[in-house]
Amino acid sequence: MEGKYVSDPEWASIQPIPLNDGSETGAMPMATIAYSDDYIEATSYLRAVMAANEISERALKLTEDIIFMNPAHYTVWIYRAKIVFALNKDLLEELEWLNGVSLKYLKNYQIWHHRQVLMSSQDHFPTLPPKEMDFLMEMFAQDSKNYHVWTYRHWLVRHFKLWDSPREIADINSLLNSDVRNNSAWNHRYMLRFGPRSDEPDGGMTNSNGPPSEKGRLAVVDEDVVDEELQYAQVQIVKAPENRSPWSYARGVLRAGGRPLSEWTGFAQKFVLDKREQGQLVDVEVKSSHAVEWLADVYAQDGAAQESTAAEAVRMLNLLKEKYDPIRRNYWDYRIQMILGQEVLASA
Amino acid sequence: MPVVIAATGNKRRKVRFPSSSHTATAQVEKLETRNIRAHLPKSSRTPSISALKYHQSLGQGIKMVESTTHPTVPSLFKELPAIRDALITETTELQSETLNKCLPFLTGSHSSQKDPLNRYGVPPLKRDEHIGYLYDSLEDYPSGFVGLDASRPWMVYWALAGLSLLGEDVTKYRQRTISTFFPMQNPTGGFGGGHGQISHCASSYAAVLSLAMVGGEEALNLIDRQAMWKWLGRLKQADGGIRVCEGGEEDVRGAYCAMVMLSLLDLPLTLPPEAKAREHGLETFTSGLSEYLSRCQTFEGGISGCPGSEAHGAYAFCALACLCILGQPDVTVPKCMDILLLLSWLSARQYAPEGGFAGRTNKLVDGCYSHWVGSCWPLIQSALSGTQTAAVSQKSAVGNLYSREGLTRYILGCCQSPNGGLRDKPGKHPDSYHTCYTLTGLSSVQHHHYHTDSSATSNKDFASAFSWKHRPARTSNDPGSDVNVFDENDCLKALHPLYVIPHKAAEGMRLWCEMKPL
Repeated sequence: MEGKYVSDPEWASIQPIPLNDGSETGAMPMATIAYSDDYIEATSYLRAVMAANEISERALKLTEDIIFMNPAHYTVWIYRAKIVFALNKDLLEELEWLNGVSLKYLKNYQIWHHRQVLMSSQDHFPTLPPKEMDFLMEMFAQDSKNYHVWTYRHWLVRHFKLWDSPREIADINSLLNSDVRNNSAWNHRYMLRFGPRSDEPDGGMTNSNGPPSEKGRLAVVDEDVVDEELQYAQVQIVKAPENRSPWSYARGVLRAGGRPLSEWTGFAQKFVLDKREQGQLVDVEVKSSHAVEWLADVYAQDGAAQESTAAEAVRMLNLLKEKYDPIRRNYWDYRIQMILGQEVLASA
Repeated sequence: MPVVIAATGNKRRKVRFPSSSHTATAQVEKLETRNIRAHLPKSSRTPSISALKYHQSLGQGIKMVESTTHPTVPSLFKELPAIRDALITETTELQSETLNKCLPFLTGSHSSQKDPLNRYGVPPLKRDEHIGYLYDSLEDYPSGFVGLDASRPWMVYWALAGLSLLGEDVTKYRQRTISTFFPMQNPTGGFGGGHGQISHCASSYAAVLSLAMVGGEEALNLIDRQAMWKWLGRLKQADGGIRVCEGGEEDVRGAYCAMVMLSLLDLPLTLPPEAKAREHGLETFTSGLSEYLSRCQTFEGGISGCPGSEAHGAYAFCALACLCILGQPDVTVPKCMDILLLLSWLSARQYAPEGGFAGRTNKLVDGCYSHWVGSCWPLIQSALSGTQTAAVSQKSAVGNLYSREGLTRYILGCCQSPNGGLRDKPGKHPDSYHTCYTLTGLSSVQHHHYHTDSSATSNKDFASAFSWKHRPARTSNDPGSDVNVFDENDCLKALHPLYVIPHKAAEGMRLWCEMKPL
């Protein structure tokens, strides 16, 4: 075979380790791939240098060669990270290189973990490199809900303590302005405003290891932030009332502030208009199923004390069940039964 | 120079096992093109510019196909939701595009639906075609599939699990499974994605489950359990979580896969003496683990991949299944999760008219969530119902809290590819990942899983994980409640709700390991 490694004097000292695909055991291995000669050769050299734990420039080049052929090869990424640090490479250069790979392969775990490994080096990156967030916004322009990129950005915020960085909230506002339904952006917003900070382990909510019903509850509440964020959520809801994201966000905000859902009863009622003729309810005009659900929850909480309020909760849940969210019928029924204090009969 | 032994495709034969009633030649002819296309669409998941343009012209308009719809399809599955906001954004454009693609399939009016619909307007399961597709998926792939090189253990698992669901006997693959995984195991413990790849939780999970499915002394004996235990010990982190590989990311996949392997292989719960996590005061694999999972619940109620990320269906399953391996669902789940908040989020994952599940808020339905979200349901329902005694009384149990009918319609109507294999949604190509997980979802609507106090294993650690029973799901007598809209002969086998392989395979591996304590 006349491969590029075999014929390269730089690699003459390496005895490649050929692929063992298991067929020597006698039975044909499954889901095999008819690899290209280049890939077969490069990975044979990879096995050899990894077995010798070689840290070298040529090994670094080899990792790049394989990454370009198969960026999902997680082993080669981990080996590359090890070499980059051991050779004390210029990590900004490595990031630049990584940017190109990231834009080419959008759905990939390894790239983003590699970036996080580089960035976690306090020696190289005592502070956030200036172009980092610009690059992430470039990624979001390709896919504004890319899970790996959001996970990495969340990690960045915590690592560099960026919760109150003006850039963070500005980027979130800009992404929500272009698509108010970007739930990833709403999640990030929540973590910026109400997520755990350095005094607690990271979590989707503060107080995550407290009793489950008290998860998310802030120990010290900045009422101005709570008011601001509730206000922001209302403005976004008015733009598109059937968008679940800001309604969930508002629930999270109230939870953080230790305030009741009933604080928004009046707001939610604007989207659920009872039509009466001579005092009799004849119809309901609903502009948001989430408002109906909100009212159901408010009435259910109050309904423990008052029967008429419980009946209102059931009326709301029936609206959801019959008309506004009927695919979730069994769930709404379960909620109704909880209010009525009855057991739900097995329907399985 | 040494001769490099290549696994060249041209020397391999595309071996197929004959399956009951389809023509082998036709399948083989299709193989080449189908498999080439099968995995490519991954890169086209991002909306293309042309798709967006198409939708700007579409506005709020969705082409309805009323004239040709099947009369027995309920309006819920052929009409648009009652409320649709006027504001158009990228999210609604993609949603409209998806609805346009799904509606003809849901109403049974798409030209590619050649099989007669059943009395509920649902197409039959293309059983033979899916069996053929999965058999083909175990054979040789052209060089363009090099991107799967680290996922070959998954390819084997998806095919064997899918074939088991379809009632095929996969023990005939015992020798080939052994030869596939033999070079992937590392002497330092665990399996990598291929020869020379470092051990990874995902490939080890797929390897262990595949070996459990084919069973037999030789297959089970292949796993170096002592080395596996030591390797898993190196993945345990100070914060209670578990990495997917040494130097790799820490997330709930690591936690779930590790607990699956520890419990199936009956490995010691104590950390190996040399595990780094011991320096932080942790003594067992479970130390701090449920607290870690607890921190993955988000304000939406769902569960994220790692603390602070967005709630996501696939990670929700990993976290819930992990909690259910750790102990009884009615104990471990409410201890860590605000369960009503979780329930509300999980329930909101199901969309109409599509009927299928989306993985996150404001994302699209995708057949694979039939498992990731769908398989959360038996777990959370059991957490709410409590443990059932082995006797039959089910009166106190909560019923099914999602729409089994909707999920069935989405899977059978929208996810079946005409030539076999199942897919994310209409317009996408099938692949073995989606085939396995949509079929798992279909199985989960057909069987009622419940947790009991009677374990199939000896009463030791993880006895609770082996205490799941199932029975066929019945059509409810309650009018308007869920009906079985699939035909009797479209029934699939049940899989274990935590291990996602047949119960017998999981129990067989566990019992075999119990007889060989480390």
